[in-house]
Formats: sequence, structure tokens, C-alpha cells
Amino acid sequence: MSQEHIDQAISREYSAGFISAIESDTLPPGLDEEVICWISHKKGEPDWLLQWRLEAYRGFRQMEEPTWAHVHYPPIDLEAVSYYSSPRSMKDGPKSLDEVDPELLATYAKLGIPLHEQEVLAGVAVDAVFDSVSVATTFRGKLAEAGVIFCPISEAVHSHPELVRKYLGTVVPRKDNYYAALNSAVFSDGSFVYIPKGVRCPMELSTYFRINEAKTGQFERTLIIADEGSHVSYLEGCTAPMRDENQLHAAVVELVALDGAQIKYSTVQNWYPGDAQGRGGIYNFVTKRGVAHRDAKISWTQVETGSAVTWKYPSCILRGDNSVGEFYSVALTNNFQQADTGTKMIHLGKNTRSTIISKGISAGASSNAYRGLVRMSPKAAGARNYTQCDSLLIGDRCAAHTFPYIESRNPSAVVEHEATTSKVSEDQLYLCQQRGLDAEKAVSMIVNGFCKEVFKELPMEFAVEAGKLLEVSLEGSVG
Amino acid sequence: MSDFMQQVLDSAATGSPPWLQDWQRAGRQRWQASTLPGRKTEQWKYTSLQGLQQRFVAANSGDVELSAAGVALPQLGGPRLVFVNGFYSPAQSSLESLPPGASLVRFSDADDQQAKRIRAHLGLATGRDEPLFTALNEAAMSDGVFLDIAPGASLAEPIHVVWVSANQGEAFSVTQRLLVLCGESSSASVIEHFAGGAGGQRSFTNGVTELLLQAGATLCHYRLHLEQEAALHIGRVQARLATGATLNSFHLALGSELKRIDLVVDYCGEGAHCELNGVYLPRGTEHVDYHTCIEHRVPNCTSSETFRGIVGDSATAVFNGRIHIHRDAQKTRAQLNNRNLLTSTQAEVNTKPELEIYADDVQCAHGATVAQLDELALHYLRSRGVSRAAGEVMLSFGFINEVIESIRCEALRDYLQPMLAARFARDPALVGQVA
Repeated sequence: MSQEHIDQAISREYSAGFISAIESDTLPPGLDEEVICWISHKKGEPDWLLQWRLEAYRGFRQMEEPTWAHVHYPPIDLEAVSYYSSPRSMKDGPKSLDEVDPELLATYAKLGIPLHEQEVLAGVAVDAVFDSVSVATTFRGKLAEAGVIFCPISEAVHSHPELVRKYLGTVVPRKDNYYAALNSAVFSDGSFVYIPKGVRCPMELSTYFRINEAKTGQFERTLIIADEGSHVSYLEGCTAPMRDENQLHAAVVELVALDGAQIKYSTVQNWYPGDAQGRGGIYNFVTKRGVAHRDAKISWTQVETGSAVTWKYPSCILRGDNSVGEFYSVALTNNFQQADTGTKMIHLGKNTRSTIISKGISAGASSNAYRGLVRMSPKAAGARNYTQCDSLLIGDRCAAHTFPYIESRNPSAVVEHEATTSKVSEDQLYLCQQRGLDAEKAVSMIVNGFCKEVFKELPMEFAVEAGKLLEVSLEGSVG
Repeated sequence: MSDFMQQVLDSAATGSPPWLQDWQRAGRQRWQASTLPGRKTEQWKYTSLQGLQQRFVAANSGDVELSAAGVALPQLGGPRLVFVNGFYSPAQSSLESLPPGASLVRFSDADDQQAKRIRAHLGLATGRDEPLFTALNEAAMSDGVFLDIAPGASLAEPIHVVWVSANQGEAFSVTQRLLVLCGESSSASVIEHFAGGAGGQRSFTNGVTELLLQAGATLCHYRLHLEQEAALHIGRVQARLATGATLNSFHLALGSELKRIDLVVDYCGEGAHCELNGVYLPRGTEHVDYHTCIEHRVPNCTSSETFRGIVGDSATAVFNGRIHIHRDAQKTRAQLNNRNLLTSTQAEVNTKPELEIYADDVQCAHGATVAQLDELALHYLRSRGVSRAAGEVMLSFGFINEVIESIRCEALRDYLQPMLAARFARDPALVGQVA
């Protein structure tokens, strides 16, 4: 193999692992009430929000870090994290794409989300969160015509305070859990979406997150409200540079689907997973939850290939009668990655339905756990759940676990759960190789087939990206 | 640790053989150094130990004279060993038919040679890092049964061990311990049978059974929890399988205020196989909790597990089925199936089948369902003139009968089928429909 080939192969390891040399305003590490006041002041927030943050912070101080997940990592020093970092050239706030730092735009181009191009080709409106602040939101005019509000949450606090105040923290309460409380105290930015009654959002909305600055944490907060009878599809992507240290990402996502509304939330998570020796990588501790009112539908689709440690359970509270919850997930771990991910389906209303399809793939020395809860409350008459969790093992040092909790308190509710674990079958591999595919390509093909049920739920551009991501992430795990 | 067992522990120490007192001391130290687990402990998330928050005294032999007919299983010959409130009852036991190759020794009765053999094997299956209630069991252990099956022996009749709780003055506690050692290539069956508690007086049984299967041994093990409402039971069965051993284990639990059974199967040699089946039927305000754990430590073993439950009234059932495949336990095949029927709006089922896998060349699957009786099937029966009530009994019985059918001991099956049919059909007229 020529040197060039080797270089190429190495650089493919984590294609998003570059560092953009952008001047930024970064708060010194440490966390106390002063830091929270500073963040709040910096963003010119109203007093109610500051008090809200402080209350969350006080709750957080009473809490202990959860240890029940099947992941192991050294204790995180929250005092060593910087809680705010914003690209300096953003200070004056770009009014349109033309005003955005060209280097920033180049960063996105490198990642394959050229905003201009996307504007034209994909018709996707993008809100990009760089470190902690939103840098650009495209397509706002067109969305405004439909009455859709899509802006950074820091802006929504000023422009639509009544909506933010009404819904913020209603799905994930401030003191819901350790990381949600931390997020509530220090969240810097994120996306805010409001779809008015009966509106079908004219395009797919998209957020892209990137941690760039060293020693910073990212704490974004997303709030999506779909008013009665509306419909929205939202995409989220994330990356981070390659660094030897572990960086913290603790996000909160809240979805509110009012009567008859539909929200589809898709994530391709590709935070830096650490190198082949397990050094570095993002700690991804995320709380995602949606409330579905009468006849509403919430659908989570996620492709998780990144992060050193993942702790994430996108959940649906099926509050209204006839509401529907869906969870489609592919979680891939390689090298020393650890993932403990799954979902919760809380059936409260009558005739609520939920489907869980989870595909876990473990390779290298990684550990991949599905942890899920299906709860049928006494009032959930006629509710229905179907769960399928499959795990695929590649290599004899990896681990795959399944921890499904099923709690049923209604006799007319039906819960079905099944799970299987196996390895890539020798027969399938043999068949592919016999037809001239090399082992790596064959495994990638089999894995893609294994995940097919989930990929078909992803919007098209994402499905292609997800397939490629799996291929890259599995490199070096065969043979 | 709260001292609700204080009097029990104190009285256990008197009159036991010295070697047993060493165990008691060690167990007591561990017990007293710990605290009772609460709902925040994962293993006890769905089971409250509130029922233990009262003082229990050491059992005496009880004030009820049981008739031998009450504890014997009809049609079941073979040796029978009966304990009333933990005390050996020679009058009701019959050991004449104990076949050659098998020896039954009580811990308190063991001579030096036998005591040495017991000590060599006791605690082998439970291991050192033992759970809290096993420590309590050892702290309060003043007697126990050692069943020693010689290598190559083949026992035709099952050995029937009965533990009966009979009323006495105040709430009392019984400690049960059984150690079964199956020698190489032997084959045997053991029925553990718990009964009593009908008088409405509280009793707390803390049971530990150890099954040691040496290479090539085969054991059929049945554990029947037929105690009534007031009999609290925290029990544990811990099995250890050597190369090529086969364990067939069947469990049945009617409910009580608190019934928690842990079943652990440890694979220590290749080529071993275990079949673990069970049925639980709580009703009223009863609570049944089965925690099973299959530890596949070595390659080339198989396990198959089926548990079914019917939960009625405002009863609660908990099932936790864990399959743990250790690193290098390649070529393991393991499967688990848990199905539940809820027959009332107040009933509750919490089930958690778990897979924890560290080896890649394995085939594992688990499934769990919770639902009510199939309306279509009921409709079918009704359209053929079967009343709804009778149809429900037939379907419920059919649901668990699939598991009951897996019992190899015919006499036991013949005993259980009509008994369970009667349990479902609260109206005696319906019993005939199914049995």
C-alpha cells in the first residue's frame, strides 16, 4: 500500500475530527451561581429565566451522579469544564449567511453540510450550534411565511417569551435527573421550534451541533412545540474535534405534540468516540423526552455511532388517548466505546400504541446496552406495545446487553418484547466473499441489512449519511 | 440491621453442633453489618420488604398435629422427609424406601465423617460473596438436610422433602437449608415442597437450597411453594453444574404476602444443560417475585427457561430473568421466555428479561409478553356453548398447563393438574371442565 493510501485510511478514522481555529470567547472553567448569572446576563435573559436556572442549579447541587447505567468512566470534574464558549466573530450577530465567518462556513463544508448548497439542493432549514451558540439559521423567511418559528432558543426567549415560559421544563422538569438539572442551570443555546395549529412544516428542520473549543462542555436545549394538528420533521447532527481529553455533552430535548400533532425527530450522532486505545471522546449524557397529547404522534429515530460514553433514552409520554410513540435506533460501538441507550414508553392514555425497534452493534472491545421501559398505567386500556431488540456482535472482546423493564397494570394492554443476540453469520460472510466482496465490505453490507428497518425511517439524506457512518465506524473491526 | 430476627439468631446458637456454630457466627457478622435493601436497590425495585418490619421469634414445632395424608402426595412412593416449622418430624417421615446409593443426613444428626463431608460441600454453590438473606440463613441455621447421591447411582423414585409451617403463638421464623450432592453420572429427582400458613398467622421462611451436580449427573428438581397468604418466604436455589451435567428444574409458586425466590444456575463445566421452568399464580393481594440468573461461565452449554404467570385480583408478580454469558463462553445457546396473563384491572406485572453478553459466538434470545386472555379464543369457546366463566378457566389452565406438562414425574403432574384447575375454578362446578 502506498503512503498516500495509508494516510487516507488513517484520516478516514474520524472525518469530522478537525479543529477550527476560530477565536472564541470562553468562560474560565468552574461552576457556581456566579457563572450562571454571568451566562444569563451575557445572553440578556429576563429575570424569570435566571431564577429558573438558579433553582435548577440548587436542585443539581443536592443530586448525585447516577451510577446505574452499564458504563464505566473516571469521575467527571465539573469544575474543570468551561460552561460557555462562543465564536468571537459572532459577537455582532450575523443577520444572514453572508455575514457568517467564512472559516465557520468552511468547517461546515468539510462536514458535508454546506449551508448554501443545502439551501438550494436539500431545502433544509438549518440551525447550527457551534460550541454553545447558534451561528446561523437558514431559510427563516420562508418558514415565517408558514407561521413556523425556528430560531435559537436564546432568541425565542426574547421574541416569544410566552411560548418559552409556558413550555420550558414541562416535559423534562428542571430536577428530572442529574444531567438535566445541570443543563437547566447552564444551558447556553439550542433550537426552538413552534409549528402553529394545522400547519404542515414546509421543509425539514435541522440542527447541527459541534463542540470545537477545548475543555468546554456543550449544554444545548431544544424545545419543539407542535400545536394542534401540525406536523414537523426535525433532524439533528453532531460532531466534535479529536482531542485526548473527554468532553462533556449534556443536552435536553423537549417535544410537545398537542392534540393531533406529529413530530418526527431524527438524530445522527457522531461525536468523537475516542481513539482506538480508548483515549478521549465525548461523554454524551442526554435527556430527550416528548409528550404526546390526544391523537398525537412522536417518533424518535436515532443513529448513534459516536461518543466515548453514551447515556441516552429518548422517551415518549403517551398522555392523550390514541397517541402513538415510536423509537427506532441503531447504536454502534467500536474500540472502547460504551453505550447505554434505549427508550421509555409511558402509556397513560387509552388505546395508545408504541413500537420500539432497537439494533445494537458491538465491535472491538466496546460495550453496548439497550435499556428500555414500557409502562402500562392502570388507565391505559387497550394500549399496545411491540418491542424488538437485536444485537449483533463482531469480535470476541465486545459485549452486548439488554435490560428491558416491562411494567403492566392494565389487563387489556398488550406488551410484547423480544430480543436476540448473535454474531455475523459465517454463512452470510462466506456467501458474500464467494461473490468477490472482501470481508470488511461484506460485514458492512450485512450490518446495513441488519439496520434496514431503522434506516428506512430516516429522511433520505440522513439515511445515506448513516450508512456511510456505520461503514467508517466499523473500520478495522474485521479480520 | 434492624433486629427483627434477634431472638431467632440467639436461639439458633444453642444446641447446634460446634461446626455449625462457626457458620452461624460468620453469617451473623455479615447479616448485622448490612442493611435491608429498599426499593432503590435494583434487585428489590419491585418487592418491598415492609412485611418483615415486625419481630419474629424462633419457631417451635407448632400446635397443630398434621396428618401424614396432609403432606404426602398421593401416588408418590419413595422416601419422604417432613419438617414442621423447621423441626424434623419422624412420625410423618418415611425413609424405609431410601434406595441404595442415596443417603439422607440431617446436619444436627451428622457423625464426624458426615459432618466433614457436609462442610466440604456446604456453601460451594452459594459462593463467598453471598447475598444478604443467605447470610441470614447461615446465621440462623441450626439444622438442614444433606442428600448425598453416590456416583453412578440411579434413583427411580423421587425424594420428597416437605417443609410445613404450622401455627404457633406469635409470628415465627423458619430457616430451611438443603444440600444436594449428585455424584458423577448419577441420576435422581428431588421434590421440595412447602406447605402451610393457612391459619392466617405470619411466618417467615428463609430457605436456601444448593444443588451440586458433578460430571455427567442428572437431577430433576421440583420446588413447590404451596404455602398460603400469611407465609412469607425469601428463598434461593443455587445450582452448580459440572461438565456434562443436566439439571431439570421446575418451580411453582402460589402467592403470599411476600414471596421472593432467587434461582441461580452456575455453569462450571462444558456441555452442561439446564432447563428451568416455572409457574406463578398470585391472587388476592399476594406478591410473587422470581429472580432467575443463568451464569454461562464456560463454552458449549445450553439453557432453556420458560416462566408463565397468571396474576389476578390486586396481586403483583415480578419476574427478572437474567442470562449472563461470560467472556469466552463461546457456542452458548440460551433462551428465555416469560409470558404473563393479567386477569384483573388491579393486577400488576413487572417483568425484566435481561441479557448480558460478553462472548460473540453465541445464540441468545428472550421474549416477554403481558396481556389478558385472548378474546377471540374466548369467543370461539362461547360460540360452542361454553360459558364465559368456564372458558376463562379452560384458557387460563391451558396457558400454564403447557409448562406443567414439562414435569417428568408423572405422580407430581397428576397431583398438580387437578389442584391448579381447582384454583382457577373458584366455582367447584367448573373443576370438572378442565381436570
